[in-house]
This record gives sequence, structure tokens and C-alpha cells, in this order.
Amino acid sequence: MGSMATAYLTGFGAYLPGDPVDNDGIAARLGGDDAVTERIRRRVLDANGIRQRHYALDEHGEPTELNEELAVKALQAALDDRGIRAEDLRMLACATTMGDVLVPGFASMVHGRLGGGPMQLLSASGVCASSLAALDAAVSKIRLGDHPRAAVVGSELSSRSLRQRRFDGIRAGMDSHFLRWMLSDGAGAAIVEFQPHPTKPSLRVDWVRQVSLAHEHDVCMRSGMSGAEPSVGRTWQDVDIADADAAGMFVLRQDVSMLDDLAEAGFRQFEELVDIGLVDVSHLDHVVCHYSTNAFRDLAFDALSRRIPNLNTDRWYSNLETRGNTGSASIFIALEEAWRTGRFAPGETVLLAVPESGRFSFAFAHLTVVAPPGHAS
Amino acid sequence: MTIDSSTATSDTISTADASAPAGVDILAERLADVWVELEERLDRVPVLSRLAAGTVTLHDYQRLLFNLRQQVVDGSPWISRAASNFDIDHFELRTAAIRHAEEEHRDYLMLERDYVAIGGSLAELRAGRKNLGSEALSGYMFHYADQPNPVGLLGAMFIIEGLGAKRAAGWAARFQEVLGLADSQVHFMRYHQDADSAHTGDLEAILTSGIIDDGAADEIVRCAQVVARLYALQLEELDH
Repeated sequence: MGSMATAYLTGFGAYLPGDPVDNDGIAARLGGDDAVTERIRRRVLDANGIRQRHYALDEHGEPTELNEELAVKALQAALDDRGIRAEDLRMLACATTMGDVLVPGFASMVHGRLGGGPMQLLSASGVCASSLAALDAAVSKIRLGDHPRAAVVGSELSSRSLRQRRFDGIRAGMDSHFLRWMLSDGAGAAIVEFQPHPTKPSLRVDWVRQVSLAHEHDVCMRSGMSGAEPSVGRTWQDVDIADADAAGMFVLRQDVSMLDDLAEAGFRQFEELVDIGLVDVSHLDHVVCHYSTNAFRDLAFDALSRRIPNLNTDRWYSNLETRGNTGSASIFIALEEAWRTGRFAPGETVLLAVPESGRFSFAFAHLTVVAPPGHAS
Repeated sequence: MTIDSSTATSDTISTADASAPAGVDILAERLADVWVELEERLDRVPVLSRLAAGTVTLHDYQRLLFNLRQQVVDGSPWISRAASNFDIDHFELRTAAIRHAEEEHRDYLMLERDYVAIGGSLAELRAGRKNLGSEALSGYMFHYADQPNPVGLLGAMFIIEGLGAKRAAGWAARFQEVLGLADSQVHFMRYHQDADSAHTGDLEAILTSGIIDDGAADEIVRCAQVVARLYALQLEELDH
């Protein structure tokens, strides 16, 4: 095949459940108000720099919504932003770390709730970088000309597994506290089309790239097994559920000692983008980066500044501090806010960067702001 | 239109005479004149002049496909009908028509896929009606195909296949260039460059095979003139 179409992001939506919860309001939702936990929480919060976040939990810690509902609300906001309906979509690509149910796939549940007509689905699982894996799939199908319009959503409702009942009676070290006081809920979505928005600027998707280095790294973030290596007969599916629970298999854990390696590997991936010419540092105007904690912000900024001399804080965007770390939803929630608040001007370029600790994955997307047809950019 | 072909076409096959009829070269020139006139007219068709100027919109392309589809679905049926009206003395033309009808039979499905791939609704496309030009073109083709030995339809083929072979791929490329379409959104127009080049080759072979006499040549030219005008009308009357 010769010519391909171009993919544009033409509508953006985000949904953050409930009122923002500040650092003093966390314990009411997630529990853990004993003195030791309190001390650990303060330490983790000081390091990650998150000041407020959203939980789909009421003030007593009871769930208020399903993950699929968060996804649908973000999608509906993106459809409204673009001025189209679910019936206009021909593909839906959904990213989440954990759906509400084990079976069927998350995208099937989101489609069922969203409605619209027949469409292609993709459930991208994984962790944070599944967001751009879903975007890549939608963009590829648009570029092939197979579909005129697709929607992508990243959605997370991790809070229910961060509540105290999951931690009662189990060993919970820094590997679980680190995530417990970092993750929160939300969803972000974008509309992908083969034509730019008729009357407003769009983001042209120049490329999406995702690389896994799992071949040379152990598991960093995990749930459903004991230890860092899955073994036959010892995963959560093999043993009694009560035993799995007692063994803490359902707690989400991260080997924090590996995070420096993760950051280094991420910088090397970025360097490679520059070295092979995918990123032209003299024409890179904005970086929207997902990172789990502010501890990595300065590291990342320094690393990027080595290759982008004109990078300054105005061109660097993250809303981690106010929207929290929402995993696969984060990059879309950040992009939506950056877009809505007018940070980008026609002609400018944007790099999305999503490192994923799970087992060392890195995803990037390069976007260019284009004026609506008939307007010089 | 004058369809008095029963007499004219009954002796169109000169089976005994192996030498080419004297009018063959003139037939080619006369058809070339019809083609030139058609091209001049096409240049003035609004959607095609917007295409040339680069101001064409996705809506234009969508409406063009919508309008073409309503007539394209009739293509294979009128050729089939013509095939059934060639008697045994016109066996080669019957053979050619049957083969051609089969080849065109599924073309409209390609067009429908293109229409859906750019965001159109298949249900709306299939519920569409012919525009004024398509009505006239389709009506003329079926009427002509109903005649005994409708040799003049070679003139219709000359126009329709010629548009496919010589113009459609150019239109496709220009739509792609202006609107940023993928190949899979312009299947129908791209496909016709190859398919119709093969058909016009077949047509060329028939026209120069010695089986066309002067009377048939007149019919062919007349039919080409009518079809050229009605095809352009179809493009001029989008959605009317």
C-alpha cells in the first residue's frame, strides 16, 4: 500500500470523580490512620509532591462508581468537545491497569455502557504505557484508512484496592506504601480522526513509539504473585483466594529500589529518539511527561535539558500535583488540561512521554498543533 | 436519441472480409473528438474544477461517491442485458459483454467500502436515489441495451471505461493529495485505472478487429456522444 491518511486528535475529555481530596483527606477514604502508617504516608507524600487527587470513593471509603463509568464520562466529554456522538465512532481503544471485572475485556464493558454503533475494540492492558499503546492502535487504523473516527481512553480506579481492608494483617513495606499514597482515580480520552477539526486547532499525531525492555529487567511493579517472579502453581489464580489474600498477593507493589534504573533507561530511550531523528530538539516546543512522583521530575528535566538547551519550565507540563497519578489515564488527563488551558499554539510540537515501571516499558508520541483547514498556521 | 440500430447492426459483422474496414481509422479519430469534447466539459464540472484547484472538501468527495454509487450498481445489469441481446452472429461481442459484466459485478462494493471508510453511513448510501444525470444515463443505457445487437454500446464503453482508465486514478490521487486520504479510502477510483485499462485494451481490440462496419461505427460514435454528455450531467447534477 502506498499513501496513508493522517491521524489528528480533535477532541479531548477528562473525568475526575468527586471533589478533590487533599493530603489530609486521604485517610478518611483509604484508612491507615495509625501512627506508623501516618508517618509513612507523610514521607511518601512529601516525596511525590501530590497535593490533591480524586477518588471514586465516598468519605467513608465506599466506591461511588465503576472504572468503566469513569472511562465513559471521559469519552463523553471528548465526544462533546469534538461535537460528535458515540454513533460516529468506528473504533474504541481502552487502556486500564485493572478493569472492574476479570472477564470480559474492559473495552467491551466501556462500549456497552457508552453505546453507539458497531465498532472495533481494543483493551490494552499493562500499566501507564498502555495508554499510548491504545493510542497507537487507534492512530494506526486511522492512518490505514480503515476507520474515519476512533476514540481512545485511559481509565483507572485503583483506590478500592488501596483501602485498609487490603492491608490488614499482611506485610506491607515501602513497596506497597509507595503506590498506596501515590495512585488515584480518573480517566482521560481523546478523539482520533483522519481529518483535522473543521473549525478549531487539532493535534496531528506524527508518530507513536513504544519499547519494552522486559527482556533485560525483572518485574518492578506487580500484583497477583508472591515475590518478583511468577512461579507455576503459585499465582493468585492457582492458590485459594483466601490464601492469596493472606499472602498479600492482591496488594499492588513496586520495587522502589529499581526506580533509578527505570529513570536511566527512560532517558536513554529519549536520547535514542533524538539520535535517530524522531525528535528534533531545535523544534520541540512542549513536553508532557507522565511521572509517578516529583522526585523524578527534576531528574527528567535535567536529563532532557542536556539535549534540549531551550527547554524551560514553561514548556514542560505535568498536572501530577493537582490531579494525582492516575496510571494509564494520566497522560490523557494532562494532555486535556494542557490543551484546554491554551498552552499550545499552531505550528508547535509536543512530545508525550510515558515511562512504565511494570517491567520497563517506555512510550512516546510526537504531536504537532495544526490550525483548522483554511487557516494558516 | 436515435436508436434505429436493428437494421444498422444486423450487418455489422463482416465475417468473410479479413481486411480492416475503411472507416476504422476514422472511427478512432471520431471517438477521440468525442473524448476531447468530454474532457473540456469535465473541466467545467464544479466538483472537478474544485478538485483541480485544490479547494475540494471531504464533503465533495463523499457526495461524489454517493452519487456515483447509485448509477454504478446498474453497470453490470445493463451490460448483462446487452449481452443477452447479441445474437449468435455477434458471438464475440456477447462473450466480451458477459465477461465484462462479471468483472464489473462487484465494483459498487468497493465504492461502498470507500464511502464507509471516510465516515459515511452505509444505510444512507444504500437508501440513496439517482441524481438527474444518473437517471438519464442509466435510462439510456438500459434502453439501448434492450435493442437487438446493441453494438453502439461499444461507444458507451469507450467513454465509461476511458474515464476509469484515464481520469479516475488522477482524481483519486488528487483527492488523496488535497484531503490526505489513505489508499483504502479511494479503492474504487484507484482500482479502475488498472481494471479499465484492461477493458479499454479489450475494446481497442474489438474496434480494430474488422468486425465493425460503417453503420456500426456511426452508432458507436453517437452512443459515445450521448453517454459522454449524460456522464458529465451526472457529475454536474450531484444530489439533484
